[in-house]
Amino acid sequence: MSAKIMASRRKDIIYSVIAVLLLLIMLFPLYWIFVTSLKLEKEIFRNPPTFWPTQLNLKSYMVQLEIGDFNMFRSFGNSLIISGGAMIISIILAVPASYGVARFNFKGKKPIVLGFLITQMLPVSVLLTPLFIIFKNMNLYNTFWSTIIADSTIGIPFSILILKNYFASIPKELEEAAYIDGLNRFTAFIRVLIPIAKQGVVVCGVFSFLYAWGDLAYGMTFIIDQRRRPITAGIFNFLGQYGTKWSYLSAFAVVTIIPVALIFIFMQKYIISGMTSGAVKG
Amino acid sequence: MTKIRKGFFRYDNVGMLFVLPAFIYMISFVGYPIIYNFILSLQNVTVKNLRTGQHEFVAFKNYIDLFTHDDVLVRSIVNTLVFTVACLIFQFLIGFALALFFNREFRLSRPVRGLMMIPWMIPITISGLIFKFMFSNDVGIINFFLKTLGIVKDNIEWLTNPKTAMPAVIMTNIWIGIPFNMILLAAGLTTIPSELYESASIDGASKVQRLFRITLPLLRPTIESVLILGFIYTFKVYDLVYVMTTGGPVNATQLLSTYSYKLSFDMFKYSQGAAVANILFIVLFLVSLLYLKFIDTEIET
Repeated sequence: MSAKIMASRRKDIIYSVIAVLLLLIMLFPLYWIFVTSLKLEKEIFRNPPTFWPTQLNLKSYMVQLEIGDFNMFRSFGNSLIISGGAMIISIILAVPASYGVARFNFKGKKPIVLGFLITQMLPVSVLLTPLFIIFKNMNLYNTFWSTIIADSTIGIPFSILILKNYFASIPKELEEAAYIDGLNRFTAFIRVLIPIAKQGVVVCGVFSFLYAWGDLAYGMTFIIDQRRRPITAGIFNFLGQYGTKWSYLSAFAVVTIIPVALIFIFMQKYIISGMTSGAVKG
Repeated sequence: MTKIRKGFFRYDNVGMLFVLPAFIYMISFVGYPIIYNFILSLQNVTVKNLRTGQHEFVAFKNYIDLFTHDDVLVRSIVNTLVFTVACLIFQFLIGFALALFFNREFRLSRPVRGLMMIPWMIPITISGLIFKFMFSNDVGIINFFLKTLGIVKDNIEWLTNPKTAMPAVIMTNIWIGIPFNMILLAAGLTTIPSELYESASIDGASKVQRLFRITLPLLRPTIESVLILGFIYTFKVYDLVYVMTTGGPVNATQLLSTYSYKLSFDMFKYSQGAAVANILFIVLFLVSLLYLKFIDTEIET
């Protein structure tokens, strides 16, 4: 009996060691860019490479506080505005829509749901040229609004399809009780149902934010003014101009990852539930 | 009976009021642009006549020109297919192996599996930047590893050589796609009751037999949806290739998405760009219909 326990404990250790090794391989690129951002330009080009900086260098980050060709922190702020805006629009539109789809039967419901599903699979390329011309004609070209509007077309269908499942799982008795208490369909939705589906709303907010945060195509096409561009487009521009300035580029990369990393650390549970339910169930 | 009598105004149509704002928004900024994109592709819109609004109707001339004037479009189609299939195969196999591994019960399985998701979360621009750095010629860590292990003698010019650029881009996209495949397959694996494996091993089935007789058949719906979704997501990849190679060198990594962008926003041939995007759209639309048909039963519920 004790031999069996020993065997299973040994198995546990072996598997855990393999798992950690796999993780190290998988995450090596992220470690590598982080270490590079802390090196002096000279050390980056050293052969053989060093796996930890011999001389810690924070200049690649500090230099951004001064005025340069590309101000990382301003672009970071632009990205926050754009992603936050896309998140707010997505939630305001998707929360009621998903409730409507989950709870009511109305004419044309099925094609509408199918339509939302299909937009999720749409390539950005198909919207880029027409939206570019539309935004030019609406005088939205080169404003935050253009990118906010375009980015939320990704967040809205995703959020509706995720939240639909949340609302469908809430027992109908809750609404009936709310009606008896004198609430109508709209007030019941706002005062009773949204608080219950809070977790789902958070998942949708997180994903809408992350989609917009990671966007390059819309931000780069619809905003031409370097001072208004999101950080991804700013980095892409810098890459084109100073392609080998890896000390700065790696620092940009790390700064762009920070919000993603924070969201991941605090909301890992939500993110994984969103990924699996969003992708498989549609 | 009641259904007919109440007609359109039966009470549940109040649900439409909840859906309407989102619906109008999506029609304005997605539905209309798709149709507009199609019309654009039948016109001749360039930077010269963009503002005038007088756009000549040229029917399918843009499509014919794209196919006959040079071979870039055909190359882009072939590249897109190669890219998609290669990514799908490898990210699926690796993702599946990892899902099976992390499906075992051991102390670190859940937390480590969670951390394996990180590559999928990183903005694609940044992933492209990181791998561009790692694949670079002199400073690239990948060349350093290959030389240290004795696999190659001289540095490989990964992204500047037309022969190696595509493999490099594919490897990067596989890194991004593995977590997605792993987590969906892992979720599918948890639905297989463990009693099946227990009784099979009592009957003397080997591990390989259990994989082919129990796991794969029962996982089939998950596998199919993972592959179709993977196809859709990979076929439209844009940012990654644009950041790493912008379609070069000499169109070696030119995809439909990057070619469409190049036509519209580098060469200002908006109509031709729209035509290429439309080809991409039609392929994805057909595959999406396949996917919808596949999960139709789940929408019903």
